[in-house]
Amino acid sequence: MENNDNKNKGVIIEVIDDGPIKITGNFILKDLKRDLTDTPEEVYLCRCGRSSAKPYCDNSHKK
Amino acid sequence: MERDKNKFSGGRKYSNREITVYWKPDACVHASYCYRELIEVFDPGRRPWVDLNGAVSDRIIEVVNMCPTEALTWKWNDEAKNRNVSIDQTNHINFRRPELVGQKEPVIHDNPVTVKVMTDGPVVIKGDFRFIYSNNDKEMKDGIISLCRCGQSGHQPFCDGTHRKTGFEDI
Repeated sequence: MENNDNKNKGVIIEVIDDGPIKITGNFILKDLKRDLTDTPEEVYLCRCGRSSAKPYCDNSHKK
Repeated sequence: MERDKNKFSGGRKYSNREITVYWKPDACVHASYCYRELIEVFDPGRRPWVDLNGAVSDRIIEVVNMCPTEALTWKWNDEAKNRNVSIDQTNHINFRRPELVGQKEPVIHDNPVTVKVMTDGPVVIKGDFRFIYSNNDKEMKDGIISLCRCGQSGHQPFCDGTHRKTGFEDI
């Protein structure tokens, strides 16, 4: 199944050990609370609950 | 026993005079639409946690249809009415009946991957994607995963509903 030759870039969800969720590729990001809809190419989402830039990671997990 | 009466294979069912709601715990990813939308009916802190007397049937149907998995499905008690339910009502239990699944099946090419950040809850990811965690590397086809954002889940990296108990707030 060769389906990565389209302009559709495959989405990769990577859970970084002791770190955020890294998401790359073509996807739609929605944040229900912040009424946000975006199509970034790369994003790091907070997984520790302590970021002050939620839903994004701000490296609070290292503190 | 009341609890046994509500059992069906794979879960429990709850009825009012018009509809029956089916609950399959194994399919739940804790996306939490149900209790956030309609705590009067879906209250995880109550036993039984579903009470169909808490709202009118139309509203219950609306919220059951928001469930991103088949953890919650519904059907009319009047079988004749079930035949007229269209396939786009994804969480109607008829959706999985073979004779309906063949009918104008929705085209799912170019299905974009959606990453939904749930308020005070997990991030729910749907679609075709590659999923890497710990030592796993999986290709997900039309998949759905729900990842913990509060840091407290006992089933990392997945959500196990703990955010509700710890009062995780999205600020």
